[in-house]
Amino acid sequence: MNKNYIYLTLLLIVLAGGLFLLPEKENYQHMDPEDLMWSIVQPTRYVSTDQVAKRIIEGDPTLELIDVRTIDEFEEFSLQGAINIPIDSIMVPEYQDYLGIEDMSAVFYSDDDIKADQAWVLAKRLGYDHIYVMKGGLNCWIRTIIKPERPASTAAASEFELYSFRRGASMYFTGAEIAIPDDEGKQKVQVARKKKTVVAEGGC
Amino acid sequence: MNTEIQSKNMPRYINPYFGGVLLGLLLLATFFITGRGLGASGAVKSAVVTTVDRVAHQHAEGSTFYSKFLTDNHSPMYSWMVFESLGIFLGGLISGVLFGRLKKLRTEHSPKITSKTRLIAAGIGGILFGFGSQLGRGCSSGAALSGTAAFSFGGLIVMLFMFGTGYLVAYFFRKLWI
Amino acid sequence: MGPLIPQGIITGEWDFVIALLLGIFFGFILEASGFSSSRNITGVFYGYNFVVLRVFLTAVVVTMIGLLYFNYMGWINLDMLYILPTYLTPMIVGAAIMGLGFVIGGFCPGTSYTGVAIGKLDAIVFTAGLFLGIFVFSEAYPLIEGFYNSDAMGRITISEFIGVSNEVITFGFVILALAAFWGTWLIEKRVRKTITEYKFD
Repeated sequence: MNKNYIYLTLLLIVLAGGLFLLPEKENYQHMDPEDLMWSIVQPTRYVSTDQVAKRIIEGDPTLELIDVRTIDEFEEFSLQGAINIPIDSIMVPEYQDYLGIEDMSAVFYSDDDIKADQAWVLAKRLGYDHIYVMKGGLNCWIRTIIKPERPASTAAASEFELYSFRRGASMYFTGAEIAIPDDEGKQKVQVARKKKTVVAEGGC
Repeated sequence: MNTEIQSKNMPRYINPYFGGVLLGLLLLATFFITGRGLGASGAVKSAVVTTVDRVAHQHAEGSTFYSKFLTDNHSPMYSWMVFESLGIFLGGLISGVLFGRLKKLRTEHSPKITSKTRLIAAGIGGILFGFGSQLGRGCSSGAALSGTAAFSFGGLIVMLFMFGTGYLVAYFFRKLWI
Repeated sequence: MGPLIPQGIITGEWDFVIALLLGIFFGFILEASGFSSSRNITGVFYGYNFVVLRVFLTAVVVTMIGLLYFNYMGWINLDMLYILPTYLTPMIVGAAIMGLGFVIGGFCPGTSYTGVAIGKLDAIVFTAGLFLGIFVFSEAYPLIEGFYNSDAMGRITISEFIGVSNEVITFGFVILALAAFWGTWLIEKRVRKTITEYKFD
């Protein structure tokens, strides 16, 4: 038998034994405080209620809504398709399975920004990416999506577009037939059509 | 490798340990680049899905299995695994040419059986392997080799039970080989 | 730093170029080691040629050691590696079927491609069989879907299952592999004396 094999055998044992000498490496990624600060001040961590509404209506499968309020509050009212992770349970490993899902963007929301922001910081600190906060929380949701305010007649056309989208969304979420004035017929038709196709898509 | 007579008949294969080290380094590089290991059966699955989709589109759309792999954007053939398997074929070709093993079509079998028996056995073996690779979530390269090397428990299970069963049943099929 | 693609360092079409290149190296190593010959491969089950065991275990051990050193150097993040999810019973059954196919067919998918490349008719038939086998599975999927998804254990690693560190597992594998190399070398020497029909193609 070739002598080289004995050397190779020894080499392999030494290499494998050397592994024990390596100091323990913590792969658990702590975030640098600086990085954390930097990402906290980024406005990109917020998504608007309009964006959320649009993605729900479109049936976007990558959207993951996380309600960080208490269970009671969640049962009373929640957004369509949301899951409930009360903020004090966010460190529980079982709940964390909902966070690091590939290609999913997790959006935290609470009544306002405060709890959702806290949850966001915690999750960020745990090293999760693709997490967002719904700006303004449910209060803003009610104000903008459920009961949208009609812009002043002098407002820009884009604001009217937004308004008509919101009204369409409001119909979608509340199911209520709101009496719609006729002056914006064009946009109304648009919104309505969109809604229809969405319903068909959502069925499958 | 022990006697001269043998070495004359033997095609020049590289030293298996050297081959193993090369394969290990390649697998390491693959993990470094892609985060997942090598594989082979995935390409055939893509081919099956594509074929079924071409031949019976309705059927494929309706099936829970095929529809998992069908997207509107591009054909299932446009996948990492297919390109990798194409590479395996090309790599084998290059090696075959370099070492002078690329010859006309031939069947390799034990002198105790005919070519026909060997081909039938190969077909049956292929069917079994294809079926098993789906249940096992990968074949010997995808699950057993890459899985085990990445410390996956499933990979180890596949490796142990694949070779274990092989040894258990080897006796009954010895005529095919020796 | 690594892995590169999951972190978005390499993107788009390069993905496929890399796949092709890695595949070429893979195919080359398989063929050059003698895996394009089914009688070489099945030698591992009859004791006359342990090339499969040698290449396979060496590769596993080298990769394991490499991964751990890479992890230590910060070149690769072990936590980001794809861990094959474990479905215990289906995997055991699948592996057993594969083992049977291995002994009867003499190839596994990767090696059969290299056999096809150098003109082995049995490899071509084996690959066609693979196609048929996966087709049969796909058609039968509604019947076996429940079994297919049963016993899910998630992306569990060996160290999580038996509760020892990766280093210990790697060291164990090295010892096991070395013992297997020396042991099979002795077996092979004895078996080869008794086998006369075996000639390399």
